[in-house]
Amino acid sequence: MAIKMIRDVIRDTIDAEMARDDSLIMLGEDIVGGNGAPGGPEAIGGIWGTSGGLWAKYGADRVIDTPISESAIIGAAAGAALTGKRAIAEIMFADFIGVCMDQIWNQVAKFRYMFGGKTSCPLVIRMPYGAGFNAAPQHSQVIHQFVTAMPGLKVVMPSTPADAKGLLTQAIRDDDPVIFLEHKALYGVKGEVPDGDYVIPFGHARQVTQGDDITILATGMMVGFAEKAAAQLAQDGIGCDILDLRTTSPLDEEAILDSVERTGRLLIVDEAPPRCSFATDLSALVAQKAFASLKAPIDMVTAPHSPVPFARELESAYLPSPDKIVASAVKLMSYRRGSA
Amino acid sequence: MQLSREALIRAYRQMKTIRLFEERLHDEIALGEIAGFTHLYAGQEACAVGVCEHLGPTDYIISTHRGHGHCIAKGCDVVAMMKEIYGSRDGLCKGKGGSMHIADMNVGMLGANGIVGAGAPIAVGAGITAKSNGTVSIAFSGDGACNQGTTFEAMNMAVVLKLPVIFVFENNHYSEHTGEAYAVGAESMTARSAAFGMKAIKANGIDFFSVYEAMRELINYCKAGSGPASIELDCERFYGHFEGDPQRYRGPGELDRIREERDCLKTFRTKVTEAKLLEGTDLDKVDAEVTDLIDRAVAEAKQADRPTPQDVLQDVYISY
Amino acid sequence: MANLRAFAMPKWGIEMTEGVVAEWMVAEGVPFKKGDLLALIETDKITNEVEAEADGMFPRLIAQTGGTYAVGELIAVLAGPDEAISAADVDAFVAGFRPADSKVASKAGDAPPPPPAPAAPAAVKVAIAADARISPAARAFAEAQGVDISAIIGSGPDGRITFQDVQQASLPPVAIGGGTSVDLTPVGETLGNVFASPLAKRLAVQHGVDLTGVTGTGPKGRIGKADVLALVKPVTVDKAAPSAPIAFARPAPGTAEIVKMSPMRKAIAKALSHSKSTIPHFYLRSAVRIDAILGLRAQAKAATGEAPSINDYIVRACALALARHPDVNVQVHGEEIHRFGSADISVAVATDKGLITPIVKGADTLSVAAISREVKALAEKARTGRLQPDEFQGGSFSVSNLGMFGIDQFDAIINPPQGAILAVGAGTRQPIEIGNALAFATIVQLSLSCDHRAIDGAVGAAFMQTLKGLIEEPALLVG
Repeated sequence: MAIKMIRDVIRDTIDAEMARDDSLIMLGEDIVGGNGAPGGPEAIGGIWGTSGGLWAKYGADRVIDTPISESAIIGAAAGAALTGKRAIAEIMFADFIGVCMDQIWNQVAKFRYMFGGKTSCPLVIRMPYGAGFNAAPQHSQVIHQFVTAMPGLKVVMPSTPADAKGLLTQAIRDDDPVIFLEHKALYGVKGEVPDGDYVIPFGHARQVTQGDDITILATGMMVGFAEKAAAQLAQDGIGCDILDLRTTSPLDEEAILDSVERTGRLLIVDEAPPRCSFATDLSALVAQKAFASLKAPIDMVTAPHSPVPFARELESAYLPSPDKIVASAVKLMSYRRGSA
Repeated sequence: MQLSREALIRAYRQMKTIRLFEERLHDEIALGEIAGFTHLYAGQEACAVGVCEHLGPTDYIISTHRGHGHCIAKGCDVVAMMKEIYGSRDGLCKGKGGSMHIADMNVGMLGANGIVGAGAPIAVGAGITAKSNGTVSIAFSGDGACNQGTTFEAMNMAVVLKLPVIFVFENNHYSEHTGEAYAVGAESMTARSAAFGMKAIKANGIDFFSVYEAMRELINYCKAGSGPASIELDCERFYGHFEGDPQRYRGPGELDRIREERDCLKTFRTKVTEAKLLEGTDLDKVDAEVTDLIDRAVAEAKQADRPTPQDVLQDVYISY
Repeated sequence: MANLRAFAMPKWGIEMTEGVVAEWMVAEGVPFKKGDLLALIETDKITNEVEAEADGMFPRLIAQTGGTYAVGELIAVLAGPDEAISAADVDAFVAGFRPADSKVASKAGDAPPPPPAPAAPAAVKVAIAADARISPAARAFAEAQGVDISAIIGSGPDGRITFQDVQQASLPPVAIGGGTSVDLTPVGETLGNVFASPLAKRLAVQHGVDLTGVTGTGPKGRIGKADVLALVKPVTVDKAAPSAPIAFARPAPGTAEIVKMSPMRKAIAKALSHSKSTIPHFYLRSAVRIDAILGLRAQAKAATGEAPSINDYIVRACALALARHPDVNVQVHGEEIHRFGSADISVAVATDKGLITPIVKGADTLSVAAISREVKALAEKARTGRLQPDEFQGGSFSVSNLGMFGIDQFDAIINPPQGAILAVGAGTRQPIEIGNALAFATIVQLSLSCDHRAIDGAVGAAFMQTLKGLIEEPALLVG
């Protein structure tokens, strides 16, 4: 076990997989950086520091710095993956999915299906996402709600260094296209990481805390918020069963339903705005399949129906927080079922 | 370079197969036999065949919504294609894709594509693989897709990465229902391609030999590691944008004229018989064989197994 | 304390759950000898004579003659033949009596509340395989309740059984419906400009509340549900007759509750069995648009504050159609067909005792509003059991409407001696083709059951054609 930051885990995992598999290539804007500039290649190593040293080690044919051309980045990664390579494409900010949505949604997600199951497209699209940096409406968003809704894509949202390693390894080795979402605020989070080969299969939620009173579902940065809230609630005797879902597609429905059947209360924490979102999807699942177990209405702590604002005060008002989670939990515990 | 008798017959057979495949589809669609949108390739056969006669199974092509000709030229099974267009579960894509999404990785055909301009970026990726294999990657586009930003991104990236990608622009003069003269703002498609910093030439898409010789030059250029290239092929579309298109944008007598004067199959027959490379009877024999093949394809497609509701959820993922 | 013993309803055979004390053969306080006949007890199969097993005496007979008592329930208190028994002793014994089955005690009206039910009744314990696809909570519940999970189709991931699945499977089916019909009148034009929630508008129509000029308490003065309900005139409730709480009987797993047919149910069973097995039924089905009727209804509501039901319009339409097709307005008596000059239409009404069909007499001469009032009055009489025989016997035609239960379509059994019955389904919004365009219409499925001995296919079909025309272009229905 080593203690590492998530950004280093991402880099090291890519490094290990590139060493293991010659067919693996990586593309993205500034993943090398400095090309064609006086500073020379490797001046950057990815603006998030997730690809430092890889170009020097594996060469320009495998670590491919691209122009700012998101459609061509995804298309090129997809074309390579269709023809026998494995590919990792980095989109610098998840917000930029807008300019390459066709390649993701109409091409990558559908290849296998529309070609009758005779192709594979082993492609990982890495996208840093999320708010917390006062980066304003076009550099702060979450996008898991869109891609989770797209059949053909798998969607991963790690929250710890260990999960980042296990899930990214699985993503790279998976034969289906995977959207790998890295929360920008978590890059610096440190934690223990298993040594050697470490793979976490998709569709298995992580039990973060165990409690009998409230099930809390969270992903990414929201997991840490939920843990903070749970610690506070525990002092008041309220036990939270926190599940870090880790992959939103496939979804660990079994873990969710089992937990709600036990606790009878569900609180969903999601960084996306509330309409037609991942949180509402989870609510629908539980309302349909665990209605009989619910002791209180399902509650959601989400961003509001607004773009992500710039100013500090506004952004913190926008984001879910441990305090908001505590307030919601208290509301759930105080709920009384009327007789009429 | 002189083509062998076998090569000439093979090229003619490919072109004739495309022509009869499309003409037969035109009739079957009119009878209501086939569901959905179908875009016919007839008229442009010399383009697909003139390009693909140079290619092997590890050379890649990606196609457009008007993809039947590219599929046949690249070696997709004609009967399986027909079954796909009829929506059979025995079709090349198990009835999941239909006319606009025929693909066969085994022959290096990366798919027809329903989104205009989506193919070029994918061809760049196939170019990454081709570069490591010593093969080439071809992006077929039309004069419509040549105006998509995705095509520009792909052309620039291919230049930046010096990939063996050839952008083949089949200029049939109509992007759907709008004329090339209106929609292409540059002086010409060839001039615009050159501006991306790649070798750009133009050839006569009505003449198989013109396409074939131009492509020989470009493929050699790419395989030498010189980077991407582009070619504009002047050609004609014998049917509408889609089947059912009333083609009110055509001029009076335009269709009759292009079918009479600008038919690549007639051009081929005239050239090879006048040069005494082949006899008319050689070509007639091919015509009869291809007619039988298309008859068989349609007959089999009509009899083929239909998909079941259980098939809907198959092949969304490899592992679940 | 005296040596008192219980004389409880005996159980003969595993299917017996209750018995009727047909007659006590001994009197209270009178000694009897071993072998004397004590009582006659009827089950649904037999009448048994109960003999004394020893000399004795009943200081109290609890069961009423003709009363039905559950197996194990106390029907008399038994003592030795010569014992001196005080009434207080007997009272104490009765109060302290606990039947073997706690379920029985709850049925014995004057018995004290039963002790809490045991935690694990488990009538049928089912072993659940370790590898069964079932959630932990569902497994625990199924094992505790003895629920057989083999027949449950799981709704969880890949058919995994959830707690909800087991819980639902453990409960008896719920009877749906039985209430009064739901008013689905489209909100009238006059309400279009009122700033109110959709629910508030609907309630306003239902309760006849005029919302013009009303300012709501919602955001920006929007009228909400509470605002409308505040304007509804209070309804005086007869406190002397509180409605009984709805109870869903829940037989123990694996057993059936046996209920004797009431005379009314026996009569229904007999008449309809006879009808269905002897009358050659055939069915004519037709879909009709009721949008025009819905429009008329909204107009009537706006003009008079009264909204006849859709069924009232259909009864009126049937009456007019019967007047034009006397060959359908018939009764069949052996080899005679009785043709009537007046359309006396039986309207099926569900009561808690069963189906009854009061007759709207001379419906062809009544307006829709009059039919509506008549049907309401008759239905009320039927539900309270005050219907006179001449109000439900006879009639020349029947209308049965199950639309209020959401039934789309059904076929009814002819109500003899009548010649035909019309079955009316629910109005459903459906897309229809008008010209070359699609539009939505409210469609009702009608099914006419005819007695072929009297009515031929073409005759019935002509009637249906007329009926459809009247319903779809109902100018003639009003006025």
